[in-house]
Amino acid sequence: MRIEPGSFRDPDSRVLYTSDGVVRALSARGLEDWRALARTSFFPRLMEAGKVVRTEEAQANGSLEGVLRGEAAGMLRHERIPFVSYPYEWPFSMLRDAALLQLELVAAALEEGMILKDSSPYNVQFRGSRPVFVDVGSFEALREGEPWVGYRQFCMLFLYPLLLCAHEGIDYHPLLRGSLDGIPPAQAAAMLGGMRGGVLKHVKLHAKLERRYDDASQRDVKRDLKKAGFNSELIKANVKGLTKLVSGLRWEPKGSEWSAYGDTCTYTDEDSREKADFVREAAAARRRALSWDLGANDGRYARLAAEHSDTTVAVDIDHLTVDRLYRTLREEGRDDVLALVMNLADPSPGLGWRGRERKRLEERGHPDLVLALALVHHLAITANVPLAEVVDWLASLGASLVVEFPTREDPMVQRLLAGKREGTHDDYALETFERLLGDAFEVERRAELQGGVRVIFLAHPRGG
Amino acid sequence: MFFGYLDPGSGSVILQAIVGGFAALAVTAKLWWRRVTGIFRRNRDEDPAAPEESG
Repeated sequence: MRIEPGSFRDPDSRVLYTSDGVVRALSARGLEDWRALARTSFFPRLMEAGKVVRTEEAQANGSLEGVLRGEAAGMLRHERIPFVSYPYEWPFSMLRDAALLQLELVAAALEEGMILKDSSPYNVQFRGSRPVFVDVGSFEALREGEPWVGYRQFCMLFLYPLLLCAHEGIDYHPLLRGSLDGIPPAQAAAMLGGMRGGVLKHVKLHAKLERRYDDASQRDVKRDLKKAGFNSELIKANVKGLTKLVSGLRWEPKGSEWSAYGDTCTYTDEDSREKADFVREAAAARRRALSWDLGANDGRYARLAAEHSDTTVAVDIDHLTVDRLYRTLREEGRDDVLALVMNLADPSPGLGWRGRERKRLEERGHPDLVLALALVHHLAITANVPLAEVVDWLASLGASLVVEFPTREDPMVQRLLAGKREGTHDDYALETFERLLGDAFEVERRAELQGGVRVIFLAHPRGG
Repeated sequence: MFFGYLDPGSGSVILQAIVGGFAALAVTAKLWWRRVTGIFRRNRDEDPAAPEESG
């Protein structure tokens, strides 16, 4: 039994990994809420639609002692999500879809006298392009007259990042990665100008009220609210307004460094075909559970890997490119390709309490196949990572590898080198790379692309 | 137990009475009235033994 280190905030519910799979221990209160939830009409409907993780009540197989702060009274078994991802890796449309799912659940719960006790995007995961709510322990009975406790969290972790991106073009990834609690109202108010939809109410007024009632006792406010006749109709109206606001948010920048790569890259059709054939053949060698495409761009090679892989994770540094990929995958209804934004020279670290609440990329699954196409030169030259380190990192993933090495004759490499002092990247050479690759991997195949300007390799970990 | 495991934030709670649109008007007005008159009540009721409503 292993306790999920990111699941400790709610004292009534905690996720564990056991021989039975993913399970959740519940307190007596948590169990009561679960049974109320199981009796509603919306819960089975949303579970059937794949919007909530498949869950069933189970018998504890072994002791659950010490798992919760109090005694565990029951247990649930959940379906496993193939690859865990976090909001600081999601493109705009993905965070927006997660926000709309969260609001849909609150609205559905309110209709049947329930609510969600928090509003964290970390409670949403993605099966490819489909958001799935995973924190079944979040549903609880609504006590009439009480406010929506998760509203502030919804603003800080969903609404403000989306508004910043849509209205100001401010990238929320570093902000969310920098603070797992999200962006406080005062910070959002300082960054968001104007009075556009929602800004005045949910940001400016929110920040003002927060400052003004900073020292007000929650007990007083709650009492006043109850006496003033606060009821669930007000929460419903707020949720409805937020749904309209979030649905209307768009992020359509004109273009980015890489968003036109597929159209403008230096490859000829013939070279692209050769490269695609190489990748297709490597991917087709056997069925894989998990493939990673590192530097996936528009996802064309990730799609080839996905033909022979249960789950494919497509990672790229360019937000707009990943957003477009996600939207395309969503239109196709793909649940096997997960598109994420990440700078691989600075990949997602362990975060939160003791650095364990949110996991490093490499801790979230062991790929069977890794594609690293048009990546090595960016790590080695743009990010100054020594070539030996790049190969060492690729080897540490323990997977079969399709890697492309653009030589110094490649126009992109020349462009990258042009900005550097001469001699800075003398180690960047095909023979150095081949030697390093051969030391760490068994190289099965190599092929020259673009008349030898780029070389592509299929390699397997030694002893693997 | 008071609220949930999250602190909903006093300002955020008051805001919720305001953002509910038309349905919220009466609640906002009452809440505001209580808050405004509360200032006078508190000034007047300096006597610590004065009965305070409990939540």
